[in-house]
Amino acid sequence: MKRILTAAAAALGLSALSTGALAQDWTPPGPIKLMIAFAAGGGADTQARLIAEDLETKLGWQFIPEQVTGKGGMNLAMAIKDEPSDGSVIGMVVTETMGYNMMAADAGVTPDDFTAITTTAGFQMGIVSLSSKGWTGFDDMIAEAQGTPLRFGVMSPKLADLAYLLGEAQGVEFNIISVQGGRAVMNGVNAGDMDLGFMAGIQGRGVAAGELVNLASALSEPLVQTPEAPMLSDLGVPFNADGYFLFIAPAGLPTEARDAFATAIGEVITTDGMKSNDMITKAFGGPTVIAGDAAQALVSDYFDAAGRLMEAASE
Amino acid sequence: MGWLDYVWLGILAVFQGPEMFSLFGIGISVTLVMILMGFLLGIAVGSTPGLAGPMAMAIALPILISIFGFTPDALLPVMGFLLGIMKGATIGGAVPAILFNTPGTPDAYMTTLDGYPMTRRGEAKKALRVAHFSSASGDTFSDIVLILCAPFLAVVVERYLDLPEKAALLILSLAFIAAVISNSVGKGLISLGLGLLAAYVGTGEDFYPRLSLDTQVLAQGFPVAAVVLGVLIVGEVFCRLEDIRRDRRLKSSSGDIVQAKATRLSGAELRGLMPYIGRSAIIGTAIGALPGIGSTLAATLGYASAQRRYRRSGKTPKMGDGAPEGIAATEAANSSVSGANLIPVLSLGIPGNAAAVFLILAAETIGGFNPGPSVFRQMGDAVNPEMVIAFGLFTCMMIANLLNWTIGGVFMRSMGFMSRIPKHVLLPVVLLLTLTSIYVQETRMAAIWFTVAFGILGYAMRRLGISPLPFVIAFILGGNLEQTARQAFAATGCDPLFLVSSAVSILFMALTASIIVLSLKRPKEAPE
Repeated sequence: MKRILTAAAAALGLSALSTGALAQDWTPPGPIKLMIAFAAGGGADTQARLIAEDLETKLGWQFIPEQVTGKGGMNLAMAIKDEPSDGSVIGMVVTETMGYNMMAADAGVTPDDFTAITTTAGFQMGIVSLSSKGWTGFDDMIAEAQGTPLRFGVMSPKLADLAYLLGEAQGVEFNIISVQGGRAVMNGVNAGDMDLGFMAGIQGRGVAAGELVNLASALSEPLVQTPEAPMLSDLGVPFNADGYFLFIAPAGLPTEARDAFATAIGEVITTDGMKSNDMITKAFGGPTVIAGDAAQALVSDYFDAAGRLMEAASE
Repeated sequence: MGWLDYVWLGILAVFQGPEMFSLFGIGISVTLVMILMGFLLGIAVGSTPGLAGPMAMAIALPILISIFGFTPDALLPVMGFLLGIMKGATIGGAVPAILFNTPGTPDAYMTTLDGYPMTRRGEAKKALRVAHFSSASGDTFSDIVLILCAPFLAVVVERYLDLPEKAALLILSLAFIAAVISNSVGKGLISLGLGLLAAYVGTGEDFYPRLSLDTQVLAQGFPVAAVVLGVLIVGEVFCRLEDIRRDRRLKSSSGDIVQAKATRLSGAELRGLMPYIGRSAIIGTAIGALPGIGSTLAATLGYASAQRRYRRSGKTPKMGDGAPEGIAATEAANSSVSGANLIPVLSLGIPGNAAAVFLILAAETIGGFNPGPSVFRQMGDAVNPEMVIAFGLFTCMMIANLLNWTIGGVFMRSMGFMSRIPKHVLLPVVLLLTLTSIYVQETRMAAIWFTVAFGILGYAMRRLGISPLPFVIAFILGGNLEQTARQAFAATGCDPLFLVSSAVSILFMALTASIIVLSLKRPKEAPE
């Protein structure tokens, strides 16, 4: 259902963009502050900076990147909320910031306090272990977890809830270890500090090399790389870890400004030869553009779903 | 991918990195140029009393990052520059000590004892040659030990230590640093505690911002650069400015002494120095490998050991009256600390001195390289980019050593004039550069206020005799400690006794307790 909704929303958003004649004329009032919710140097940060670089080359807009990290993007959300909504400030978060994290933080804000501009790429979120563990599939892992609790690495509270629900649905116990960022999960799994963990695309090279194995897809659809791996919905968990990188602005960003940003970003990340397109294709399996009203609908949807997930996990 | 493949990839990463310009058709990589520039700057900075290597590293870092950006390509040029400063400053420190009897850094104090008498005898050039030769020898020896030890230690840690043991090891390191850096273990612990407190503002796993006093400014925590530069650099500048105000006397200079022309060191002289250099290099390397014990202690021990040996030999002039052996022992000891200091940095992620703090800061800010045991992980057929960077850094250090042996001596001997730069001009420039460079990196005004506030804290700590280094190291390791402890707690199925759950972690915790207890018993007048 959600998939259809997302697809419909995406189609709606794209059609809205094509009519945005006004968007062509809009130019930013000056240099644009680009807040980035990710640690400097990581894949997400590089993506944001490359998009800014491409926009500077293509349109001559000037960006000043600034790191506003921490609290799963909530620090950025709270900081950008009170910035002017004239297109002089935008930020890059993940949809989870506007969904689960905003719900959990209970900081008195909802997705309506922000303008969703566009997504750039989705995650290939899998449940991954070292292939040297000897597990060829999800069931092998569960069989071992029957004996002793396994260590399950996660990089966000939402994923911790999902790991907990997965254990509950499968009748096993996981020792859930929260770390900061997908790379930390991968390092932990590689070092043997964790038996398995969520990885949002970073596992691609390891899986291809045969060192890591995707035990399951944490998405509402199969993983591109391991389509035979079961999805969470097949494993008794009615939630998923679907998510995207998302550009946001404070609420009240004029529609022509929003659409100008969305069009410009959408164009650079889907154009061959652009640095950001190259990077997104390599690191995140290609761009996914859900823009404008569709993006806003998507985050509202995630925000509502987060409430249900929390309720389920706290039972 | 074997170890040798990584060594080769590391060397290639330095030489074939982004090209700066090409010379006779051969591309010169930007990393090489940066090492050279850092090295020359380091010598100049080390030769200037009132400046020190870490200061230059601190100011250079944000400026370099704004030039090179946050891409992995930036790691080697930026860190190569910083390593160059570190090495240059190490040999430069002897210049004012020998020529003007003013040690540029505390660890060069022992160099004045024999260096300045030699200058008064007209043998300044020779003294500088001895200092350069011993310093470069000690430094190179230390680097070789680092390159051989760090990967090995990292592999051992990664293979045998689980999360609870890693948490215990971090606690042990912090306790050790607090106990040995300052004279008083109590003051060390205060400094450490304050550092941890600062590290915990605004961080943590909950969505609710911790210790932020309900303000948005504190909710993001303190910017690392603001805290580290504030306490280490701005605090130091505040102290020195006050010293100048209090003490306006001018130091006597020795410009009028006629210096001898023939200054070459003969082969026999060098052979005579070698035992002193060798011993001091071993002492310095051993001390450097332990986090927190600085080059000052290494210099003191190196000098003392040389003194015993020299007395038995019955040579003249006596040590302290201008014996080249004294300079050799001191300079070899304090220089051999710098390489070995990176052993805990690269294998455990634990910085042991201010220079190491800035190298970790560079790695953290740029991203893509996280000093710690995971750096030296073999990943089967895939390339571990962090290990390539690590061996690239080793290559940078060896290039810096090569520069040191070839042009370092000449450049160093020409740096005497740096000592004439008046402090009342120098310090405000340092202050302004620090604040500017922080604004360049953080681009928000709050970062400047934080820097000034932490500068005042650094000033207060120095005036109260509290070493600011445990503060900075605790601040840098605080997040790591909390995460490792939380992860260890979760991984053991929420066992509250996870710190004493295995033989290794019990050993680490017992060592922690005994270090604190033994330091408390240490007599107060023990040498620093």
